[in-house]
Amino acid sequence: MAQEVFSLEGKVALVIGASNVIGRAIAVALAEAGANVAVATTIRSRREEVAAHSCANEVWALNRRGFAQAIDAASESDVEALVRRTVSELSRLDILVNAHDLPFAKPLLEVSPTEWQRVIDVNLTGVYLACRAAARPMLSQESGRVINVVSLLGERGMVNGAAYCAAQAGVLNLTRALALEWARSGVKVNAIGAGWAEGMGLLGQEEERQQLEHFLPYRRLAQPEEIAGAAVYMASDAADYLTGQIVWIEGGALSRP
Amino acid sequence: MLALDKLKLDGKVAVVTGAGRGLGLAMALALAEADADLVVAARTRSQIEETAETVRARGRRCLPVPTDITDSRSVQAMVDAAIAEYGRIDILVNNAGAGSIGRGIPLEEVTDDLWRRSIDTNLSGAFYCCRAAIPHMLRQGGGKIINVTSISGLRGVPNSFTYAAAKAGLINFTRALALTYARHNIQCNLIAPGLFPHGEPAAIEALGGGRYVPMGRVGSDEEMGPLCVFLASELTSYMNGQVIVLDGGGLAGGHAPTGFAPVVPLAADALEGGA
Repeated sequence: MAQEVFSLEGKVALVIGASNVIGRAIAVALAEAGANVAVATTIRSRREEVAAHSCANEVWALNRRGFAQAIDAASESDVEALVRRTVSELSRLDILVNAHDLPFAKPLLEVSPTEWQRVIDVNLTGVYLACRAAARPMLSQESGRVINVVSLLGERGMVNGAAYCAAQAGVLNLTRALALEWARSGVKVNAIGAGWAEGMGLLGQEEERQQLEHFLPYRRLAQPEEIAGAAVYMASDAADYLTGQIVWIEGGALSRP
Repeated sequence: MLALDKLKLDGKVAVVTGAGRGLGLAMALALAEADADLVVAARTRSQIEETAETVRARGRRCLPVPTDITDSRSVQAMVDAAIAEYGRIDILVNNAGAGSIGRGIPLEEVTDDLWRRSIDTNLSGAFYCCRAAIPHMLRQGGGKIINVTSISGLRGVPNSFTYAAAKAGLINFTRALALTYARHNIQCNLIAPGLFPHGEPAAIEALGGGRYVPMGRVGSDEEMGPLCVFLASELTSYMNGQVIVLDGGGLAGGHAPTGFAPVVPLAADALEGGA
């Protein structure tokens, strides 16, 4: 049966950024497809910690194993410890989802070097740290899937978005570079290009959200669940030959001028 | 050679199709100002004769050749006339096209004839011109092909099917040319204009005066000329197979409406770090 090739039964996933709407939807979708799922925050904030624990509860409610861990994704020791805990508690690591999202938008002249550095550290360097930590078990077992979540802002510019756009574009091409580096090792690296979705951190105010809805070909934002399905495909045996690809789920936003 | 000297096109012969008006006219005049001699082609004789007069008034030679680019014999005759007049073709600007064919027509109403007319005008015409001119460029040891595509070749517009297909086809046709003749010193590149209403008030009005363009205005034809000269010049001797989009910033965004500019400060506890 064709469906079986999409099953993640027996696989272990780690979702960093399960504290945001896209990461949370992906973690739940992977659990629904059969994976055990560890989830982590992007930063150590109270809000993110609560969200990550609530996501872990959803994983448990599906009768999958997993845990929630508060980390600072830009901290090497946090990320290394997270991967170690995943392998020791869930016995392996097959799927790494980098859904890091530290939203930030300001006119460039108002962006301090500290803010710039923090946005790059969390959104881009954090993905590098996670890939490096997860690659050790993945390369030694000669199989693994890395799924990076990038936003439209990795492909297009946005007023006030310079720092965030730069970080996202970095993740986009990091994906292609690692895909090539690990192409013969059994580790596949792909990205989901996420369109504007309900609950995203960068939506701005209600007025801006309405502008967006009017602009988008579907006349609505995406539900995070509509973006998460691609992660199941990318994580599964159905995508054995897929690597280095950015799969956009943006309701046609990139097709229009 | 100084960089600015490389923009000089003296001794070069440029063929510009669709040179009777609009962007074609602006590009022809810009090439002439850079000291190229010209062949101007279009269907309407009176318009290209007017273009030729303007070019000659600026001190360059100009041969107007009435041409139907959808007819390969007509194109061959135009290229033959160019060679008879000048003995060479250094620059070919495939600008002729018609976005109006099939625009705003629902798919089920796009007839076979409409589809073919649009493909003939917007894609096949450039193919005929390249096929006729490139042997001369090879013989001369080099040349420049500048194909004019459209934003419609890069992005979709609802109910605009034939133009989208033709202009996207032109882009990859040009990339194939670029690779094929890369070692023969023929550079093949594309221009993708954004909104250029050719100074017509009604057209400008229909485009909202360009207020949806990031720069807040539409393009004027004169702004296209220098890009054409640049792509025709020695400044681009290593540029090949590229699309240059001249659109006031439209395609740099495009995922959100123009003016979308949220302000989202870092969360109060986001700077603390976790180490």
